[in-house]
Amino acid sequence: MDMTASMAAGRDTAARNVPRGLLPASFVLGGTLLSLVGLTWDIQWHSDVGPDTFFTLPHLFLYSGSAVSGIASLVVVLLTTAAQRRGADIDPIVGGRAVGVFGRTFAAPVGYLVSGVGAASFLLYGLWDQWWHGLYGFDAVIDSPPHIGLLLSISITMVGAVMVFATARDQRWGQIGTVVGAATLIAFSMVTVIGLQALPNGIVRPVTAGATFMCVLLLTMACGVITRRGGAIAVAVAVGLLQAVFWWFSPWAARVYADAVGLPVRDYIDGVPSLPAMIPMSLIIVAVAIELLRKAPAVIAGVVGGLIITLTLPLQNIWVYDSSMPPTDVYLATAATGAVVGALAGMLGRRFSQMLRHLAPTNETSTKEASHA
Amino acid sequence: MRRSVWGLLAAIGLLLGLAAPASAYEPVNVVHTEKVVAGPYTVTVGFSTWPLKAMQSLDFTFAPDDGIAGKQGNVIMSLGRQRQGEPLARHPRKRDVWGLDVRSLPEPGDWTVRFNIEGPKGTGTGELRDLKVMEQPGPPMGLSWAISTIPLFGLIALIVIAWRRTRRPV
Repeated sequence: MDMTASMAAGRDTAARNVPRGLLPASFVLGGTLLSLVGLTWDIQWHSDVGPDTFFTLPHLFLYSGSAVSGIASLVVVLLTTAAQRRGADIDPIVGGRAVGVFGRTFAAPVGYLVSGVGAASFLLYGLWDQWWHGLYGFDAVIDSPPHIGLLLSISITMVGAVMVFATARDQRWGQIGTVVGAATLIAFSMVTVIGLQALPNGIVRPVTAGATFMCVLLLTMACGVITRRGGAIAVAVAVGLLQAVFWWFSPWAARVYADAVGLPVRDYIDGVPSLPAMIPMSLIIVAVAIELLRKAPAVIAGVVGGLIITLTLPLQNIWVYDSSMPPTDVYLATAATGAVVGALAGMLGRRFSQMLRHLAPTNETSTKEASHA
Repeated sequence: MRRSVWGLLAAIGLLLGLAAPASAYEPVNVVHTEKVVAGPYTVTVGFSTWPLKAMQSLDFTFAPDDGIAGKQGNVIMSLGRQRQGEPLARHPRKRDVWGLDVRSLPEPGDWTVRFNIEGPKGTGTGELRDLKVMEQPGPPMGLSWAISTIPLFGLIALIVIAWRRTRRPV
């Protein structure tokens, strides 16, 4: 018996069992999950232990997350380009319609183009961050300009991950990936919006408003992309699972790593897992409201979602941090702002879901020709 | 697929393996000190860089003459209406004294560092006044923020393009 032929046949069978497009999409999504794990670990490390260098283990998770997503995106773009040059059919289930990059030098499926650009941007902002730390020291400030640049770059990769799965939204793996990708982006965005602290902090809490915007936007979007009922609820449940896992993982990982490198835990830590505590626990209620109001104008669902989050988040902080209620004027003004940004997020979320539905191959007019980006 | 997964796991393992030798932390290197009298206690305040500049992080150490054992308290740094206070905790990389690790003061000006200490000799309060913090180094913050938010504006541009090309409901 020809062993080589037998093994090749086995590989072919295995390859046939994996739906087309699932493998590279999984690598991109896996990369974004690595980034999220690195972020929650890193924040907890600074909160509970302290010292920083460029090569801490949480940082390596952050770097490797973008590397995995970026390399997977690059491989897909190169394979698509090669297929186009030899005149083969380009299957748009792999990341959506291919667009031309640098003229027609490369043919890039639009989802992988976005995820890859995010990863490349991460590299550039890594250099910017390194220069910044050289000038200002290794401050553990999450909302420094280069850090926000890095977080925004990872967010773009996460948007690309949602796109590559939404392209296959007619298939089960596409729906699952869209849910996990949107949940990952919601959890991650709770840190990115801390950059809004740079805005004047008056009677409204800009970070709360930003978190509200991202939650309502992505839940509404998921509700529209996944046409069967329950898309928003599935995302909220996935966010809740991430929150629960990180609630245990983040402090545990910070302590294990501290023990491994011989550093003590700080005196007077509050013991609260930082990133998970930023995620609104009311998301499941918001998701149910969005699902129930899916036939109503998006602005109404958005207002309801915005109000739920901004009214309950201070209560969550009281419970988690044993803190006190904000002043009444701040509480009400932030809730009013939540209603406004929620309305905007609801409208945008519904429109974004239409954009993502356009990525599905059944709606393509041409699958062979690459057009200019 | 299995080979790809093994490849990914191997890469992660390599990263974890390389992290161990890279995780060495610098000792606290005090280059300037000031004395503060807080009632019955004299505290030596140490700085790992001098002079101080806004936003430039450094290690602060707070060392009572007769050690930190049996004492507790808090430290409050203030400039005008701006105040940041916290309990006196041991420095993570110099456990025999209190301190703040890689911490920066956000704005230039004459800062005040106030100590409230309780210990075997009773309570004491003292201040280090006119701690000069110079202007921040580097480019203006507006420029730094402009550079750092380019990905956001890129994302908005992508959304605008996609918006125009997807008007037809599906």
